[in-house]
Amino acid sequence: MITLITGGSKCGKSRLAENLLEHFAGPKIYVATMQPFGVEASAAIDRHRRLRAGKGFDTVEKYTDLHELSLPDNCGVLLECIGNLCANEMFRSQSVSYPAERIAESIIRLGRTAAEFVAVTNQVGCDGISYEQGTADYIRQLGIINSLVASEADRVIECVYGVPVMLKGVLPC
Amino acid sequence: MILITGGIGQGKHKFAADLLHCDANSLTDGCSCELSDVPGCSCITDYHILVRRLMDNGIDPVGFTEQLCREYPDTVVVMDEIGCGIVPLDRGERIWRENTGRCGCIIADNSHTVIRMVCGIPISIKGELP
Repeated sequence: MITLITGGSKCGKSRLAENLLEHFAGPKIYVATMQPFGVEASAAIDRHRRLRAGKGFDTVEKYTDLHELSLPDNCGVLLECIGNLCANEMFRSQSVSYPAERIAESIIRLGRTAAEFVAVTNQVGCDGISYEQGTADYIRQLGIINSLVASEADRVIECVYGVPVMLKGVLPC
Repeated sequence: MILITGGIGQGKHKFAADLLHCDANSLTDGCSCELSDVPGCSCITDYHILVRRLMDNGIDPVGFTEQLCREYPDTVVVMDEIGCGIVPLDRGERIWRENTGRCGCIIADNSHTVIRMVCGIPISIKGELP
C-alpha cells in the first residue's frame, strides 16, 4: 500500500504520516532525506526526531541516490520528504540535473516492496511568483515526481492544517 | 466552458490534451500565441500569462475575458492557480494578480466544470468530471 501525502509547508503532513503507520505491527523504517545544513535544518530535524521518538522507527539517512537503497520486504516505511530528495539531486553539483523520473521510479520500487509505504512531499508552485530558472525547474521536477508517484499510489492525501483531504483512495479508519 | 487550474507542474496541460484527444503541443499557448488566435481556439493554456500579455498590450484583460466567455463558450481554459503567496510589494505585480484573479472568477463562473489538478489527479470543484 503506497500513500502519498502532499500539502503546503508546515501543514501537519509529518504527523499525519506517522499516524498512518502508528498501528503497523512490523518493523518501521524512517527514510530521512533532509541534509543537516544550517541552524534551521538542524532544528527541523531535531523537531521531527522528537515527534517520532517512541514510535518505533529505525532511521535511515538517504539524501541522494535513492535507487541504491534497499529495504527489508514487508516493513512499514515513512519517506520524508520528496521535496528534499529532489533538491538534493538537482543541485548536488555545478550543473543542474533533472532527476524526476529516476526519483519517482525509486520511490515506487521501494513502495512496492514495503507492506505499508508513506511518502511525504510538498505542494509548491501556487504562489504566482516567477522564479529564476533553477527554482522554476525545481518546481516542475517536483510536480513531475508527485504526479508519477500519485499515479501508482493507492492513496493520495492533501493535508490542510492536519486535516486529511482525500484526492485518491480511502482513508483508513 | 471548462476551466482547468492548479499549481505549476500538476499535469494541467496533459489533462487538457487528453480531454481534447490531441497533443499537448497543439494547444494554443497563452505564453506565445498571437492574441488574435485566442478567440475561437479549442483550448488556451497559461491564461494567467495571457493576462499579463494583454495588459502589456494595453488591452483590458477583464473585458477580453468577458467577451471570450460570451462569444466562445466552448473554450477550454488552462490557468495556473497563483494566489497562494504573499501579496507582492510591486504595484504592477499586484495589478496582474488582481486581473488574473478576476479573470479566473469570470471564467469559472461561465464554466460548467472547473477542475483543480493536484499531483496529476483531477478533482472537480464545480460540475462533473468529463
